Order: sequence, then structure tokens, then C-alpha cells
Amino acid sequence: MERRGRSAVVSAVALVAGVLAAAPAAAQTCPVKIGGVLPLTGSMAPITKKIAQAAELAIEHVNAGGGVKGCPVQFILRDDQGQPTVGVDAAKYLVEVERVPAFTGTISSGVTGPIIASVTAPSKVVQITCCSTASPFTLDGRSGGYFFRTIPTSKTQAYATASETARRGMKKTVVVYINTDFGTDMLRFYKAAVAKLGGEVIAEVPYNDNQPSYRAEVTKALAAKPESLLLIGFPKDAVTIVREWLSLGGTKSIALNNSMRTMDFVNGVGAKFVEDVFGMDNAQVAGPHVDAFNKAFEEKFQADTKGPGVHTQYDALMVMALAMNISKDLTGPSIKDAVRRVHVPNGTPVGTGPAEFKKAVELIKAGKPIKYFGATGPIEFDANGDVTGPALVWKIKDGQIVTDRSITIEDMQTLFKRVEN
Amino acid sequence: MISYLVFFACIVLILSLLTLGLNLQWGFTGLFNAGVVGFYAIGAYTHAILTASPQPQYLGNFGLPWLVGVLAAMAATALAGWLIGLVTIRLRGDYLAIATFGVAVSIQLVTLNWEPLTGGSQGLTRIGKPFAQLFETPFGFNLWFLGLMIVILGTTYWALDRVLLSPWGRVLKAIREDETAAVALGKSARRFRLEAFVLGSTLMGLAGALYVSFIGFVSPFDFLPIVTFQVWAMLIVGGSGNNRGAVLGALVVWGIWAGSGVAVTKLVPPSRAAQGAAIQVILIGLLLVLVLLFRPRGLIGEAAVVSRHVND
Repeated sequence: MERRGRSAVVSAVALVAGVLAAAPAAAQTCPVKIGGVLPLTGSMAPITKKIAQAAELAIEHVNAGGGVKGCPVQFILRDDQGQPTVGVDAAKYLVEVERVPAFTGTISSGVTGPIIASVTAPSKVVQITCCSTASPFTLDGRSGGYFFRTIPTSKTQAYATASETARRGMKKTVVVYINTDFGTDMLRFYKAAVAKLGGEVIAEVPYNDNQPSYRAEVTKALAAKPESLLLIGFPKDAVTIVREWLSLGGTKSIALNNSMRTMDFVNGVGAKFVEDVFGMDNAQVAGPHVDAFNKAFEEKFQADTKGPGVHTQYDALMVMALAMNISKDLTGPSIKDAVRRVHVPNGTPVGTGPAEFKKAVELIKAGKPIKYFGATGPIEFDANGDVTGPALVWKIKDGQIVTDRSITIEDMQTLFKRVEN
Repeated sequence: MISYLVFFACIVLILSLLTLGLNLQWGFTGLFNAGVVGFYAIGAYTHAILTASPQPQYLGNFGLPWLVGVLAAMAATALAGWLIGLVTIRLRGDYLAIATFGVAVSIQLVTLNWEPLTGGSQGLTRIGKPFAQLFETPFGFNLWFLGLMIVILGTTYWALDRVLLSPWGRVLKAIREDETAAVALGKSARRFRLEAFVLGSTLMGLAGALYVSFIGFVSPFDFLPIVTFQVWAMLIVGGSGNNRGAVLGALVVWGIWAGSGVAVTKLVPPSRAAQGAAIQVILIGLLLVLVLLFRPRGLIGEAAVVSRHVND
């Protein structure tokens, strides 16, 4: 028994060591390695398929356009299975064994969080995600500035809402919000923005979804004697809340979030009662750089680009490859600084696709600044490593939802600077 | 490479603690705990809430020292194990499994929804790491943590061995083999089962505290039922009823889990990565089945025990 046990120990150790030793020593020169961690299997797998394809397309475009520092790029993609321990292990392997200076990933915030805390920040490697939106990751420098994302967070909408409520002169606002990470994030960023832009939140009332009545919450909100209401939530509950709000004598000056831009909401409350409301929504970017990506993707994979994370994943890798070309060496700290130089205000505009990437590489070689316009529009990171997107203001006219005005991405970037500086 | 191996070893030793806890419950006492991850979560969140650096939006985040967090995590899990044990321990076999599974799922949902305390789906970050400020590189910290883990696991292993050889340990095995006989000999099966349950849960809580203090981040996604499955796989592959088997099982199963991912990236071209990931999942299942086909009692099964006094 004893001897058999020992041989089992030895063979098990040999098995594990053998698998790990199969990894060859990290190459110092060509090819340049870029890592990826995505939930290729597990509950996220259905949406990850297109995201992984977008990543593959980006790497193909980078290589066709000259690669990184003259070397072809080798993309090493690992599966996190939607499980934090597996994701952390995969990221650690990429950084320590494959020696990638930068990697992309991942989708679930529950996996991205521990990777930032235990791999990205301590090992000083760059991480760009297509999809994790949880706000704490980029706050107060806990990622050491090594974490970026190409997806706009709820901050974009919250700031846009604040700029619109300020523009309309809304005062003494009460915020009624759904008690989820989305609702609490929106409230926090809205309050930060109105403090700079003008306006005042006099009460905050959280609510839980799927209740038959919100009389208690509405009564509490009205007790603060507000002159306007900002309602953050989802249409079904919002219909109940707004009806109760109006029937108890609440003001008609109401601001709403993106989810309420649906006729279910308008008809649910009654179009004639909501003539004065307005709301916000994210707007879709348009332009040749977006079309070029859509066309390339559709041609290669015979599928459309609809779905979460497809455009943002492409941009995550394009930004990474451009930054690696700009960076003086391929170390995390240099690449981190270079990420902020892929979209310089006075740079030469470059778009998506291999030809544009080639143009960008030539400009970089000549020491000229570039200005990257990606599949999601202009990519400019704020101090926290977040991007913004364009937004629009909608209102209800003759019982229909119409666009009131648009907020371009440039306006949004100006707005971010006003709020955060 | 070395840096990765040290990191890998730390995770294996943390998982070993979980497996040892389950081994005490299942391997020695026959308690079918299908809620391992629930106790792991209680330990992890207790530590995180006590040691994470203060944040105005959270009730917890007291910024207490690491050791306080670890000890409190063990105490909290012991208490939770005792309370849960009080109401469930009389359930046999599958019934206990269903009850503990339900408890673990409920605990995970509490961590997801009690946002002011647990940070909800956004998780808690900046969790107390032991003496992290003394180390400039992650490798230095990981090496120190590995040393710490070896001491903690070694002590636990030694203490468990002692305790299982004691009369108390023999009663546990007696209950596992034939509860009626044990009761007929005047032992309170309920009391011993509860004690083993609480002690095993405490080890799982310790593992949770060590895991979050190693990673520095915790969220409800760390505590999905798959973790319970992994720990069970480790125990069965290693050999239940044998503490060496429990530790070896943690090494082998986690090695298969991580190693198969490496193997797939080496063998499958990048354009087939999505299919490769599916192959990895199949590979994990296949290797687990193969181990059990060739070593049905686990890699190191339970040692046959003959009383020391046989020849007296």
C-alpha cells in the first residue's frame, strides 16, 4: 500500500510537470506575443463566439498591416470558463510563462476583478477588456493604470443626463433608482456630474424591481418636496412608479434613462401624461471606419456584427497593437503610456482594416502622431482608462418617441473633462 | 516559469485545505456535504469584509490586520457550520447533500444581493494580503505566501492526522461504517457528526480567507456550485479517507484543469481556439474518468487500519 501510494505521487507530479514543461521558453524577439482570456466555454460561450472572432480578425488585420515592430503577432487565447480561479490561472500563465506584455480580457466582471488584483496590477502588464463594465475597476487607480476598456460604462449616460438636466435648468431633483449595480453606478456618477454642471439632488430613493406598487417609495420621494424627478430603472416598474408619482401630485418634469425609450413605457403611462419628459440613450457611431470593420467581419465569418462586445473587442486589440508599435519597448509600463497616444488630438486619422493599420505603422515609424478611429468610433481613454460614446436626448411628441438632440462623442469627451477636472 | 509554478502551488495548497475539510466530513465521517463552496464563501467574505481598506459606500471594509481576518473567518465559518449542522446533521446521505447544496446556493445569493456589505456583483477589492507591502515584486509575495501556505497546510495536516488517530477519530470511522453499532456502544452519533461537520467547515472557511487574501479580490462569481464539484473531484481522485490522497487529488485535478488549457493552446491553432476550449473541457472529463477507471479507490486509497494492540 505504502509503496504503491508513493509511485502514484511520483507519477502524478510527473504528469503535471510534463504538461507544464510542454511550454517552450519565452521568445524574446519574433513573433510578438499577445494574450487573450475569454470565456470560450460556460454560460457566456454563446456571446463569446463572435467576440473571439472579432479578436481573430483584429490579429489578422494587424499581421497583414505589418505586425508589431516588424514582427508578426502570435495571439495566445485561453479559456476562463467563466470561473475566476481558472481565469486568474490563465492570465498568470500568459504573463509568467508566455511573457506577454499585454493581454485582452475578459467578459464577466467577476473574472476580470481578480485578474486585475492578482495579475495585471502587481505584474505591471496591460489589460484591455472589451466587456467588463463594473465601475470599481477603474476608480482611484487600483489597477495602477494598467487596465483599460473599450466599452463605455454607465458613467457616459449618467454624465450626459446631468448635462441635459443642467441645460434644462432642473432643480431640486429627487432620484428614484433601481437597486442594482447599474442603478447605484448611475446615481453616483449623476451626483458627481451635477455637482460640477449645476443642479441639486435633494433625495435618493432606491427601489427593488417587480413590485406590484411603489407607493411607499413615491411617497418618500415626494416628502422631500422636489421640483423634478430623475427615474433610473426599467420600463415595467417605471410605468407603475410614474403613474403613482403623477397621481400623488408629483411634478411632470421627469428625466429618464435609456431603458424607457420604448413605446411600452409611453403607452403604459399614457402618452398625454408624459409630454414633458425626456430621456437619454447611447447612440450608434457611424463612419467609414465602422463600415470597414462591419464589412470585413461579415465577409470573413458570414455573420453580422450585431451582439455585445464585437466592436469593442476588435478595438481592444487594435489599440493594443498600435500602442505596442508606439511604445519604445515591449514592457508593460511603456505600453501603458503608449495606449494614451493612439488617439492624439492633432494626429493623422487612421481607421480600421489592414491598410489603415499599415498607414498607422508608417506614421509611427516616421515619428508622427496618430488618431485612431475604431469600430466603436474615436478611442480616447480618460484618466481612469475608460472610453466614452455618443449619446442622444429623446422626448415624446404627439405620442411618439423622437430624438431631441444628439451629443457627439467629441461633446461627450469635453463633458468628461469638465466633470472630472 | 518558476513564478507561475509558485502561483500554481499556492492555489493547489489552498484547494488542498478545502479537500482536507471535505475529507474529514465525507472521507472519515461519511457526511455528504454538497455545499463546500458555501463555507468557503463565508470564510472568504468574513476575511474580505474585515480586512479590505475602508470605502464610504460599504458597511464593512474595516481595514483590520490580516491575522484578525483569518481567525474571524474561521470563527464565523465554525459558527455557520454549527448552526447549519444543528438543523441538517440528522439527515442521511442524499438528503444532507440536497440540504447543504441549497444552503450554499443561498449563501452565494446573499453575497450577490447584500450590496452594502458584500459589494454585490461588483465585488470587494483591496483585501488584506499578509505583509504584501514588504514585497516589491509579485514573485516575492507569492514565494512568501507559498511558505506561509506550507506552514499552515503542514500544521493542519499534522493536527488532522493526530486527531484522526485519537479515540475521537476512531469514533468517526465507526459512525461512518456502522452508525447503529457505534450508537449501541454508547457514542452519541449526532454529537460526533456535528463536531466533524463544524471542524471540516472551519477548514473550508480558512481556505476561503487564504484564497481572497492571496488574490486580493472577491465576488459572488468565486462561489458558484462548480467549485464544490471540483473539490469533490479532488477528493475522489486523490482517495477519500486518506489525507495524503486529499492533497494529492488537489494537485492532480487542478493540474489537469490548468494543464489541459496549456496543452490546448499549444496543440490547437489560434483560429480554432473556441473549439480548442471545448476540447479542454472534454479532456478534463476524460482524464478524471481514466484516473477512476485505473484507480477506482483514488490515487491513494484509504489505508487499511489494524489496531496497534493486535499483537499485545
